[in-house]
Amino acid sequence: MTQEITFWVLAVIAVLGALVAVRRRNLIHGVFALMIFFASLSGLFLLLLAEFIAAVQILVYIGAVGILLLFAIMLTERVTGDDARRVTSRGWFWGLVATIVIFVYLLLPAIQEANLPETAQPIKPSVEALGKKLMNPYVVTLEVLALLLTAALIGAVAAAQGARENKEEQSDDS
Amino acid sequence: MNLNLIIDILIATVPLLVIFPSLFAFTTWIERKALARIQNRIGPNKVGIPCTRAGGSFSLFGLGQPAADGIKMLFKEDIVPTGADRLFHLLAPILALIPAMLVLCFLPLEFPWSGLMSAKSGVQAFLLDSAVIFFFAITGLNTLAVFMAGWASRNKYSLLGGMRAIAQMVSYEIPLVLSAVVVVMHVGSLNAADIANAQENWRWFVFTPWGLAAFVIFFISALAETNRSPFDLPEAESELIAGYFTEYSGFKFALFFLGEYISMFAISGLAVVLFLGGGAGPGVGALPWLAAVWFLAKIFALIAVMIWLRGTLPRLRVDQLMGFAWKFLLPISILNIFISGITWHLKSQNPVVIAGVWVASLMILYVVAKGLNKLNRADVKPREYKYAE
Amino acid sequence: MTLEHYLILSALLFCIGLLGALTRRNAVVVLFSIEIMLNAANLNFIAFWRFSSNPEALHGPLFTLFTIAVAAAEVAVGLALIIAVYRHFKTVDLEQLDTLKEE
Repeated sequence: MTQEITFWVLAVIAVLGALVAVRRRNLIHGVFALMIFFASLSGLFLLLLAEFIAAVQILVYIGAVGILLLFAIMLTERVTGDDARRVTSRGWFWGLVATIVIFVYLLLPAIQEANLPETAQPIKPSVEALGKKLMNPYVVTLEVLALLLTAALIGAVAAAQGARENKEEQSDDS
Repeated sequence: MNLNLIIDILIATVPLLVIFPSLFAFTTWIERKALARIQNRIGPNKVGIPCTRAGGSFSLFGLGQPAADGIKMLFKEDIVPTGADRLFHLLAPILALIPAMLVLCFLPLEFPWSGLMSAKSGVQAFLLDSAVIFFFAITGLNTLAVFMAGWASRNKYSLLGGMRAIAQMVSYEIPLVLSAVVVVMHVGSLNAADIANAQENWRWFVFTPWGLAAFVIFFISALAETNRSPFDLPEAESELIAGYFTEYSGFKFALFFLGEYISMFAISGLAVVLFLGGGAGPGVGALPWLAAVWFLAKIFALIAVMIWLRGTLPRLRVDQLMGFAWKFLLPISILNIFISGITWHLKSQNPVVIAGVWVASLMILYVVAKGLNKLNRADVKPREYKYAE
Repeated sequence: MTLEHYLILSALLFCIGLLGALTRRNAVVVLFSIEIMLNAANLNFIAFWRFSSNPEALHGPLFTLFTIAVAAAEVAVGLALIIAVYRHFKTVDLEQLDTLKEE
């Protein structure tokens, strides 16, 4: 019973958060709605007994991705867009149609027709087992991931620095 | 709903909600007194305990000051600037307080009444296997509150303070986590209670070479993370008025203040768990309730050091601040992880080997610290003043 | 709670993300719509893992962990690109960034 209430509350919060994040005109409000969405998803992970993933979700998505998005918005946009035309893209109608079609004709039937297991088995969540799995069969994946993150870091810095050089050239010209 | 569950939850959380805010009031008084002594003043000494003779001989060193401050805050006018985002202006102080209160639940505080709980172990409010990583994750939410406050105020000082605070907190979170990694590696668990139990019989991690280095890094990063002096740039009065809470008054300001102190308690509590043996101390074996007393005493010792540092050290510059995190603390803490890995493999009880490890690792750390210091030194020339000719 | 509940929730979240990606003009909003879609997929992984016959293998959490790391890298690079684009074109409106289009 407790679990069901928790699930429904978190599900409603997640859907509302995602909707507000996607449709809100004020981008800062949008990012905070997105963080509510991330937090409720973390709660759902906890409900599914994946507590390490829940922690990582908060740490990475709210603590890092959210802050990055805030910084990017502060650096690029005038925060409150005033007129509606600038927010919605020209092909919004077809976007809406495509979304509804995908949801109603693709995803829902697929879920309902699939032969899904009914009950969850009792498990004991363990961070240690996860760590051991990361070290034994998945160590190559982990290393590749580390390489990817380093490459992303360098790439991001390079993109920002390139922009700075452009700016300096411009200021030299003027 | 299960009634026992509700009672358990109340027993686990209500003490945290009562004890720490009252400690907060006491700490503000201690801080004002200590700072006053450092600056050769007397500090608050007039306000007495209510219902005794106001002031005068019953003032008890001004112990009533926090209560008076609280009442003043409560009745002050709440001002929201024109053009501010009213919703976010309201939510920011609340959001600042919630994570700070929430992380207290992860501390393995053993209160005398913990035995009342029907749960298997009434040591912690949240019995999570990965408590330490949750602690870091939720502490990170503080940055959001700071940004919210800075942005919602529609004030450029607030926004500047908020952006500074975010940059600072995000940067110092990395050495903070990396210094805690050392302890997690040695214990082999992210569970706060396990980590505290691993340090019984005075085997505190601060008494090992890597533990000492990690503790120092952790403490410095914790100072920066809670915006304490000398890392109080986001709220530097002389530069930014008060940073992100310039536009806050009355009770909202009080909430910010409370949140800041509670997160100080929380992060000191984590330092106690990770490096200072949790609730371990003389007499705990005979009287289990002493564990909570020792725990709080250790937290207060760390808070006292924070107050002392605030009274003595000047504020850093912005470039020094970021450079210190990225070019000094980060490499040192990575090196420290390496050293602790090596000592873990040595696992020797021989005192000569232990002494050798101490000397060798501290020497390596010292040399690298010196080298980094030299590399980071900005070539600042003596300033040339141009006088009117 | 059955697996079906989680799957429908995740499908709904995915479609909300898709809606955002298809109907908004701001590049940053499109980026965070993509994040919503990735998160919906993560929820699927965890739900399938929880209800699977062999949860000891931990495939769901491991895959989610890797997805989160890749998503973090994607956001970092994506935002750096958006900032670079903004410095060049002075806009992040995706409909004005059409210099490759035939006029």
